[in-house]
Amino acid sequence: MDELYLDNIDEYVNDHNKIVTYKWLSLTLGVHVNTAKQMLYHYLDHKRKESSAQLHATYLVSGKFVDNGQTSHKVSVVREDQLEDFKAKMSLVVSVHVYSVQRALLRDSGPLYAVDYDAVKDNLKNCSRYSAIHCASAVPMSSVELQQAREVQQAPTPEPENKKTGMNGDTSPVLKSSAKPPKGIMGMFANKSAPKSQDNTKEMKPEKKEDIDAPKSKPVAKANPVANFFGTQTSKKPEKPVKKEEAPQSSSRAAQQQHERSKPEEKQETVAPVEPQKDTKKDSRSKTKRLEDSDGEEEKMETKKRRRIKKPEPDSSDEDVIPDSPQPVVTREPSSPSPKKEVEPDRHSHPSSSEMKIRKRRRVMKSHTFVDGDGCMVTEKGYVSESYSESEDDFKPSKQASRDPIKAKPSSSKEDEKKTQKKASANSNKGAKQASIMGFFQKK
Amino acid sequence: MTTLTRQDLNFGQVVADILCEFLEVAIHLILYVREVYPSGIFQKRKKYNVPVQMSCHPELNQYIQDTLHCIKPLIEKNDAEKVVVVIMDKEHHPVERFVFEISQPPLLSISSDTLLSHVEQLLRAFILKISVCDAVLNSNPPGCSFTVLVHTRDAATRNMEKVQVIKDFPWIVADEQEVHMQEPRLIPLKTMTSDIVKMQLYVEERAQKT
Repeated sequence: MDELYLDNIDEYVNDHNKIVTYKWLSLTLGVHVNTAKQMLYHYLDHKRKESSAQLHATYLVSGKFVDNGQTSHKVSVVREDQLEDFKAKMSLVVSVHVYSVQRALLRDSGPLYAVDYDAVKDNLKNCSRYSAIHCASAVPMSSVELQQAREVQQAPTPEPENKKTGMNGDTSPVLKSSAKPPKGIMGMFANKSAPKSQDNTKEMKPEKKEDIDAPKSKPVAKANPVANFFGTQTSKKPEKPVKKEEAPQSSSRAAQQQHERSKPEEKQETVAPVEPQKDTKKDSRSKTKRLEDSDGEEEKMETKKRRRIKKPEPDSSDEDVIPDSPQPVVTREPSSPSPKKEVEPDRHSHPSSSEMKIRKRRRVMKSHTFVDGDGCMVTEKGYVSESYSESEDDFKPSKQASRDPIKAKPSSSKEDEKKTQKKASANSNKGAKQASIMGFFQKK
Repeated sequence: MTTLTRQDLNFGQVVADILCEFLEVAIHLILYVREVYPSGIFQKRKKYNVPVQMSCHPELNQYIQDTLHCIKPLIEKNDAEKVVVVIMDKEHHPVERFVFEISQPPLLSISSDTLLSHVEQLLRAFILKISVCDAVLNSNPPGCSFTVLVHTRDAATRNMEKVQVIKDFPWIVADEQEVHMQEPRLIPLKTMTSDIVKMQLYVEERAQKT
């Protein structure tokens, strides 16, 4: 009989891999809680002597605790490895007993509650049957008394709540030793509730860094290596991350690169645990980067298109004067690069008016018979000989000259148009380059 | 006594909702217990009236939610056979696979009023089992990552590839490397049978992890 309970507990712990708390054991076996506690203690002792399987235990310690001159009665559930430390901190230890026995090393106290929850729920009406805490006047109320109590209930509810907060301050379990460091990380995540809804990862990353600076005033304990990761970031470079963020915030890609760069800086001791986090971050970042890359490219395309179209705009006023050209009319929408090519032939289309304005270039035109071969080279010579005004105007005469032979044969001009379009684009590119070259020559 | 068939989509959705909620909690808990991510990012929250550890990292949470959002239609139609949470080492070889085998009876019958609370109790037991699973598993090498695989019946995935349930969150056919594990050890964790769903959780573990 005496040994039977050992086998029972052994079955629960080893075979079923359960967490056996004293409360659960007392309800399951139908014994008083103190008996259950002793059972667990003997079982643990027995198994430890055999040293067969690795067992972990938690203990309930209650006693007097002095904190800054204030004495309080503290009841805590502690892990076995923290037991001696905890007992040493207390001024008077009133009771210590085994709370639970399990095979797994529990990282937090959640499962302990879960174990008792179902056991208590099943025995709700007689959950205190085996309890050591007794009060003679604690009997279930009759229905009349219940109704009276409900009417009175509303008034006294605020009072007990105040008392509770005072009492519960010291009774929290001490299983999690890293209570402070999560605040550093949690501080980051806690402020994400607003931007989370926006679903914009770009903004979150620079914001995360800003939030790191916010809790920097809190002394972050170095127990948690991940806290170190963020802690060093705040202690070493309090201002630099903010400055870095302000600059790259203008360009999202730079912000991401910044994030990636600063992460390798702070790798130090935190390589392993942070890597999976980084991997997910990088994966999501790569997603957003792809989006942003495509966005950036689109923007570039648009600006380029805009730039290209802007050039012929000052010349557009001349179009009215010019007779209809064989080329299509320009549409000023930056939807595709084709308008640019369409525009430039139009530039060619008004030769006379521009020729009227700048006579100097006429001289250069003569050499433009070479345009068919290397149009670009001919125009260069034209620029060197003259004072440089605008590259656009310089384009026009060159193209006009090339147009002259083509105008005579509009029917066969399509291919030539394309050629000239290409050359025009080449000219425009060279013109942009030539501007700098001209400046060099002008200084002479 | 009400007998509902699968055509009663409302009830199918309810079951899918319950399962997806549970899977979300389970995935977070697996990541916590197996130390895939540092414990600092986890926060105690309440589910099924017991404390559970959920991550606070917004991108991780979003990833898990998107994953389950895509799985939900499969569960509604009873196309999902298994949902597997694979933990992989640095070289992307699986070291552990948490397999949730799900099967739903074709004829759902609500036989009692306390059905949902009974289901809640069973799911609570699952949560508890995951919390203590590291007693039966070897510890993982550092630098692990995770992924979620879904084994579906028949050709249900073809629809998934055609229709992107969530934009920019594509599902691809898993590599052979991710699906198969060398020398797996099977460790059953928990089984549950209820009127609305039958679920089994077991872990396949690689014999040599490092």
